[in-house]
Amino acid sequence: MGGYGDVKLLNDDGSRLDGRSIDESRPIEIKAGVIPAADGSAWVKHGLNEVVCAVYGPMEAHPRKIQLQDQAVIDVRYNMAPFSTSDRIRPGFNRRSREISKVTAEAFASTVMVERYPRSKIRIEIEILSAEAGTRCAGLTAASVALADAGIPMRGMIVGVASGKVEDTVVLDLDKAEDNYGQADLPMGIMPTTGEIAFMQMDGDLSMEELQQAMDYNFAAAAEMHDIMEAALRARYEGGDE
Amino acid sequence: MASQVVPQLLRQHLANLAADDERISGRGQWQGREIELEVDCLYNADGSAKVVWGDTIVYVGVKFELREPYSDRPTSGSLMCGAELRPVAHRKYEPGPPSPESIELGRVVDRGIRESGCIDMDALCIVPGESAWMVIIDIHVISDCGNIFDAAGLAAIAALRNATVPAARYDVGEDYKLAVALTPIICTFTRVGGRYVYDADEEEELGGAERLSITLGDNGNMHSMQKGLKGTFTAAELSEILDVCATRCGELRELVDSKVE
Repeated sequence: MGGYGDVKLLNDDGSRLDGRSIDESRPIEIKAGVIPAADGSAWVKHGLNEVVCAVYGPMEAHPRKIQLQDQAVIDVRYNMAPFSTSDRIRPGFNRRSREISKVTAEAFASTVMVERYPRSKIRIEIEILSAEAGTRCAGLTAASVALADAGIPMRGMIVGVASGKVEDTVVLDLDKAEDNYGQADLPMGIMPTTGEIAFMQMDGDLSMEELQQAMDYNFAAAAEMHDIMEAALRARYEGGDE
Repeated sequence: MASQVVPQLLRQHLANLAADDERISGRGQWQGREIELEVDCLYNADGSAKVVWGDTIVYVGVKFELREPYSDRPTSGSLMCGAELRPVAHRKYEPGPPSPESIELGRVVDRGIRESGCIDMDALCIVPGESAWMVIIDIHVISDCGNIFDAAGLAAIAALRNATVPAARYDVGEDYKLAVALTPIICTFTRVGGRYVYDADEEEELGGAERLSITLGDNGNMHSMQKGLKGTFTAAELSEILDVCATRCGELRELVDSKVE
């Protein structure tokens, strides 16, 4: 969280630079079943972030040494397209994408009913097409919808949401400027149907009270986004949209 | 979806269909699938296009970087075109460093664009010997259901024609539209059931043999050709394909023209 205090991120009336109120999310659009080659897929546009996710499997896990005898392996790849950021990024994995892939896989290993598919593998491929702060959360959301689209049983859908702190104020869903110049960021993966948290990271500086406020914002936002995810799946299978 | 374990059965089925002048999809021998082309669709790319070609989906993003010109071309900019066949696009793709297949795809599209001369490389130079623009074309295949070469080639030229040089971001003046004088178009033909067809789909590629990809420029001249995969062809077959290719390239060029001003 660089540049604390250098950049003005809140207007005099308390609203944010892009006009949102402090507990308002950026607009979200979700579609299920967008990749014909995949077993399940989803597209998420969250503000200026654009993410697609494909799910393949359950399939045979190979090489055999990665197999687990009593459950499926969840294999996640979070990858940013070279053109997804302002400065082009070299294709391929880096430390950041490896870490996000790891904790995302662990989140889904806790919610997918992996015990039903011993010795198999479920592949979750998250591709970031456009990145403007919040791609790991958009990736979590897209992966949940893609898993549901693939018909893979889960205890609930994980919703990716984040809150943070700018100018000593807790705000929901940081945009690019707020992420770059703000004081804290708290991305979470929440299952609104059970109230559990499957994913959490944090960086910056938050007091206990601010953490509580940020969690409250995240839970409220997750419940709202869960409805949009459900509507996307209904549209796909009840023919609401197409 | 076709399974990898029954290619023998699939090949026989495709041969039977070909003998009756039919295809598995019901298309004619030279008939392509439906195409949707969208340009300027990626927020952070300097030029972009999305092609939905049947069930195949390809995104292309163009980015610019300021580089020192190559020493043998001190007054020229440069062009780089790469492709990624990410595991998102099909269960057959594995993670890892670029595969021979993805390198071939990137290089075939690269040659068609480069050799057509559609970009004036000298116009990309800012200070000779010091700085010039490098145009970077990244092909990102999202769904591979056959014929990714044509989908990628179409998206690449559409993204280039819609690209803006980000001069302001690099403090070298005002942004301006990249000048792209020509529209090279690639067409791919695959041997399926013993004969060539245009625009093979996933099952036809699985049960088919060699492919021929040809890039034609606006004047009908060839700029890149590539024979890939196992199999051989005759001069007579190439000649027949080139006739079909000329017509099809014209139609696809009109599609690009209709989407880019």
